[in-house]
Formats: sequence, C-alpha cells, structure tokens
Amino acid sequence: MSALSAVMYREGKIRATNALFIFWDVVYPLGYLLVFGVGMNEAIGFARLQTSYHAFFLAGVLGMAGFGIASNTAWSFFMDRDNGIFFEMLTYPISRAEYLLGKVLFNVAIGVVQAFVTVVLARVVLGVAIRPEGFPLLVAAVVIGTAGWFFFYAIFALAIRRNDAFNTVTSIFYFVFLFASSMFYPLEPLPAVFRGIALANPVTWHVDVMRYATIGLGHPQTIALEAAGFVVFTVVSFVVALSVLRREG
Amino acid sequence: MANSAAIRVRDITKVYARRGQPDVRALDGLSFDVERGTIFGLLGPNGAGKTTLLRILSTLARPTSGAASVLDQDVVTSPLEVRRRISVVIQETAVELFLSVRDNLGTFARFHGVSVGDIRARIDRVLEDFGLAADASRKVIDLSGGFKRRVQVAKVFMVDTPVVFLDEFTTGMDPILKRSVMDKLRGEASRGRTIVLTTQILSEVEELCDDILILNHGRQAARGDLHTLKLLSQGVYDVTVTFDELPPAIEQELAALDPIRVSVTHNTVEVTVKEDHGGILPVVAALAARGRVLRLEVGGASLEDIFVELTKGARS
Repeated sequence: MSALSAVMYREGKIRATNALFIFWDVVYPLGYLLVFGVGMNEAIGFARLQTSYHAFFLAGVLGMAGFGIASNTAWSFFMDRDNGIFFEMLTYPISRAEYLLGKVLFNVAIGVVQAFVTVVLARVVLGVAIRPEGFPLLVAAVVIGTAGWFFFYAIFALAIRRNDAFNTVTSIFYFVFLFASSMFYPLEPLPAVFRGIALANPVTWHVDVMRYATIGLGHPQTIALEAAGFVVFTVVSFVVALSVLRREG
Repeated sequence: MANSAAIRVRDITKVYARRGQPDVRALDGLSFDVERGTIFGLLGPNGAGKTTLLRILSTLARPTSGAASVLDQDVVTSPLEVRRRISVVIQETAVELFLSVRDNLGTFARFHGVSVGDIRARIDRVLEDFGLAADASRKVIDLSGGFKRRVQVAKVFMVDTPVVFLDEFTTGMDPILKRSVMDKLRGEASRGRTIVLTTQILSEVEELCDDILILNHGRQAARGDLHTLKLLSQGVYDVTVTFDELPPAIEQELAALDPIRVSVTHNTVEVTVKEDHGGILPVVAALAARGRVLRLEVGGASLEDIFVELTKGARS
C-alpha cells in the first residue's frame, strides 16, 4: 500500500467510526439550501439576479460546505496531538507532503459526494436549472476548493497548537471570509469598500467558479481569472503548510 | 562501501534557542556508533539529551551541527529513507483512540508497507503475544493507560524495520509483560534488528543492553558494555546493614562518609561509598559497631551507582 493510500485509509477508518458525522457532512449543505435559501427566496426575492435565490445560493452552500470540511479536517491535527499519534506519524515512512495530501484526500471524496447529492436534490426538489456541461468544472472546484482551504487552515492548526485558540481563529475566519464574499449575495449592490474586500477574498473566487459551473452565472474571462487566483492560493497555502509541518519534525 | 554500524553519530550538537532566555545546548559534540543487531541503551538524568538524540535519529528534529545516519542514510538529507528503516515508540502514549486495538495494529502495518494479506496473520500473533486478544475489538479509548501503552509497543512487532527506537517503553507495563517484551526484544536483536532504548529503570539496561551510553549535559559521560562500565566504579561499594533498632544520629555518621547514595528505611541503612586508602572494611566495621546487626551485605557497585556517580553534577 502506498504511503498516500495508507494516510487516506487511516482517515477513512477514523471517520467511519462516526457514521453520523459523515451523514451530516453529506446532507447539511442541502438542509442549509432548503431552509435558508428557500426562506430568503420567499421573503426577499432577488429579481435583479434573473434567477431564484436558491439557484444563486447553491454555489454558496457548496463553498460553505467545502470550507467546513476543510476546517474540520485541519482541526483533526489537534485530535492527533491529543492521541499522541501526531509525532509518531511523523516517524512513519511517509513524506510530509503525503501526510498533508492523504489527510485531505478522503475528505475531498466526501466533499464530492456531498456536492453531487446537493446538486441532484437542488435540481429535483427546488427545480434549479443545472448546466450538465459545468459538471467537470464543478468537480474540479470542489476538489481544489476543499484542499485549498484545508491547506490554509492547516497552517494555523499546526502553528497555533492550542485547540481553543484555533477555534477562535476559525470563528473569525467564518465570519470574515464567508460574509465578505459572494456566498450569500451578489456583490454589485454593495458599497465600494466592502465590494473591494469581497473581490480580494478567495471564497468569492471559489464560489463564483462553482456558480458559473452550476447555473452559468458570471463572465468566462472573470471566472478564469478567479479560478487561476484560487489555484495560486491553494499552491501557496500548501507550500506554507508544508513548511510549518516540517518545523514540527 | 556500507559500514557495519547501524547508527553513526558524528559530533552532533543541538541548540534550542529560547526567546529572552539563554540557549539550551541539549547535545554537545556527541559521537558514537551502534553496531547492527545490538541492544543499545541510552541512559542519563532528565534533560541529559536522550530524547533529543532519539528525535534527531528518528528525523523529528534536525541537529544544529554534526551528522547522523541510520543504515548509511543521513537523517537530514535522506529523512524518508531513514523512516523506511525505523519504527519508533515515542515517550508519550501514541495510539488511535477511536480505532479498535486490531485496527491500530493494522493501520500501523499499512504505513510500513506490510502487505494486506500478511497483516491479519501478524495481528493475530501480536495480539496473542501481548495479551490483547480478548480486547482486539475494543476501542483503545476504553482501555486503561497501561493497555494503551501495550498497544503502542505491540505495533513495532507488526513490522520488520531493521532499527527500532524505544523511548521509555516499559512505562505503565506490569512486570510480567515487561519481562515478556524484554525477551522478545532479545529475540529481535538475535535476528539482526538493532534496538535503541532509553529508560530510567537501570535494572532493565543491566539486563537487556549489550552496549550502554551514559549521557550527561548532552555529552558522553561513559560508554561500554556493563562490565566495562562497572570497571569505572572500582572501589565503589554498596553496603546494606539492618539493625534490630536504628542507632541514634546514624544519618550524621553516614553523611560524614561522603556517600554517593544513601537511604535509611525502617531499621535498614543502604549506603554507596567510595573506599578510602584503608579500604572498605573499616567503614563496614564502624557501621556495624553502632548497634546490633541483624543482616549485613557488602557488594560491588551497580549500574545505578555508576550512573549516580557519573551524573552527580547534573542532579545537584
């Protein structure tokens, strides 16, 4: 068994000890879409979008779900530390890069299943018109998005070392990154400063790509630029996370 | 040409920089070799540098200067190659709490490249050897601290790495299991595996190790097999006297002997002293004259005495 598959196997084994956790990961974006998305659509409406709010919000919940899986996966470093297994694993015949990649790959697979379930049920239950030709881009966005945010979070999980401090950091990140982005609302009507911040936010890049992939909203050139920006963000986060992990041992 | 040493350490220094405080020199120009197939004991007081040395050899830390290799693979330039040749029991308990005992063993073996077909047979054997068969399906989080440590140590018997590092491996083990593990370690060494262990329990080293390195302040304080080390303490004796009643002010009298080690328990006095020019017998006679003696024993120095003598500066 290769080192990468051994890490994935371990992650899978640990996650499989809590089936409810996996079930929740798979269905919660759909629940969010049904409750929050439908509620917003009915209460406020988004005539300027020329689409329903739940269609607009579909990419938002997918982005939020990837963000959540990434932060949970990074949090598992603390569980590894508590179990004492963290340093023992660093003595296993795996490279530090394989350790990081293996840790996120199983959870990326969960993310893909989650996205599939959400998209299918959004089509069936809410009647969202999904573009089938956007599926490959959507899968790529889910994979790279979950991995990118995991590497980003891993930097802090490895550097901070304190579980409670990390929880504070993730709370701040949830607030800043998710609300200052195109996840919940279109950016055009926002004040210039807020819009500028949101445009510089990788969550916006990620969600915009998924929105284009699912319902075709956005300009292809802008989307290509945002996709490239997110890939760079992912690579830089991976390199920094790797360097922080190497400092550990 | 490959050298015969399993481990080669050359002039290793490790300095920990601390913000606003003086640097700590954990290892200071240490050099030694460990021959293949030996059981090598690392001894030293707390803070002597044992764990730092194991962390460097298992690629968890980089030396500040100097070089170290495991089976000819440099720990700094080829860490992955080193890790392919070692298995490690770290000082802290390290187990997958939410996995069963069986899955803990299986997961560890997969990381070390044991084939899936082989894993089941090995798990059954190791479960039996470590008295874990009845708990095989229990999650490790539900086991006692001693059993968790047992699972951790059992893992290294799942794989065939040529070098094994054990940092205080007997912590939490009952005496029967400890003896059984020590027997297994001897067996592994006779099959050519190199075992490097640290411990604070000197009787384990006396019983198990072919080669011993005593560290103090990050430097070699002594090196050799048990007999060689015991020669270092020529003229050092353990004297044990049991009185029917403890003589008054015996503590002051013992202190006047400038002992290496002394303990007074109930009516028994145990003292380790270096003989002076007149030999040990006048000391024994003087002690025996202080009361009615029920039992008297004089012996050569133990490894513990040598350890205490060599590391006295670090402990005072």
